[in-house]
Amino acid sequence: MLSAQERAQVAQVWDLIAGHEAAFGAELLLRLFTVYPSTKTYFPHLGSCADKAQLLSHGRRMLEAVGVAVQHLDNLRAALRPLADLHAQVLRVDPSNFPLLIQCFQVVLASHLQDEFTVEMQAAWDKFLTGVAVVLTEKYR
Amino acid sequence: MVHLTAEEKSLVSGLWGKVNVDEVGGEALGRLLIVYPWTQRFFDSFGDLSTPDAVMSNAKVKAHGKKVLNSFSDGLKNLDNLKGTFAKLSELHCDKLHVDPENFKLLGNVLVCVLARHFGREFTPLAQAAYQKVVAGVANALAHKYH
Repeated sequence: MLSAQERAQVAQVWDLIAGHEAAFGAELLLRLFTVYPSTKTYFPHLGSCADKAQLLSHGRRMLEAVGVAVQHLDNLRAALRPLADLHAQVLRVDPSNFPLLIQCFQVVLASHLQDEFTVEMQAAWDKFLTGVAVVLTEKYR
Repeated sequence: MVHLTAEEKSLVSGLWGKVNVDEVGGEALGRLLIVYPWTQRFFDSFGDLSTPDAVMSNAKVKAHGKKVLNSFSDGLKNLDNLKGTFAKLSELHCDKLHVDPENFKLLGNVLVCVLARHFGREFTPLAQAAYQKVVAGVANALAHKYH
């Protein structure tokens, strides 16, 4: 699905995130909850006003999963099988929410990387994250 | 109609004052055409859109982006009456241009990313929230006259 060039772009972006999963993840969630408040309905365990520690903890977990996906671009389905099962059987996040998360992810990247956030990176990362979302929701029915 | 708090209005206008509207327009349109290449379907007459470099340096893309964003800028001055402000453009996009309104949402999202790129940390979650409200409002206004 991703060309060799796109994979290189994805890896390049990941290099900038790796080691900072908690911080990126926390900002991602904060943006998601601020911009799209209805998404908070999926995180009742974070409380109505998630504190920094909770955002960092859950954010890190989400970004670590993204990291797994980056390492297994050739076989997303196998690598993400447990998460796909979790989303299909337990979490059941409406698929319409994934584009909202992806938009916030792009904004996090753009605001951190600024001039380094090339259009090729944006395109590759959007394609990659959309692919991850497809895998996470394809067992829904 | 878009409901922005006083703080959100202040965030929107504060940042917009620092935007190079002409350049940001071209960048947003260019990124739209590359990240979502199917949007190129509306721009057959624009010439070479074959590579990211070709798109970003395309004079027609820049010119059209400038036109689009200047129009968006007008909307920012009329947040209380977006539907009225964009009524004619809405009819044009439906009757003459035949543009699926979904594309307005895509462009709005890309514009938010471009602003984030320009402003960096200054583009806080609250600023993003305010701008996402605005672009959603503009997209709705542009779709309002579709029939």
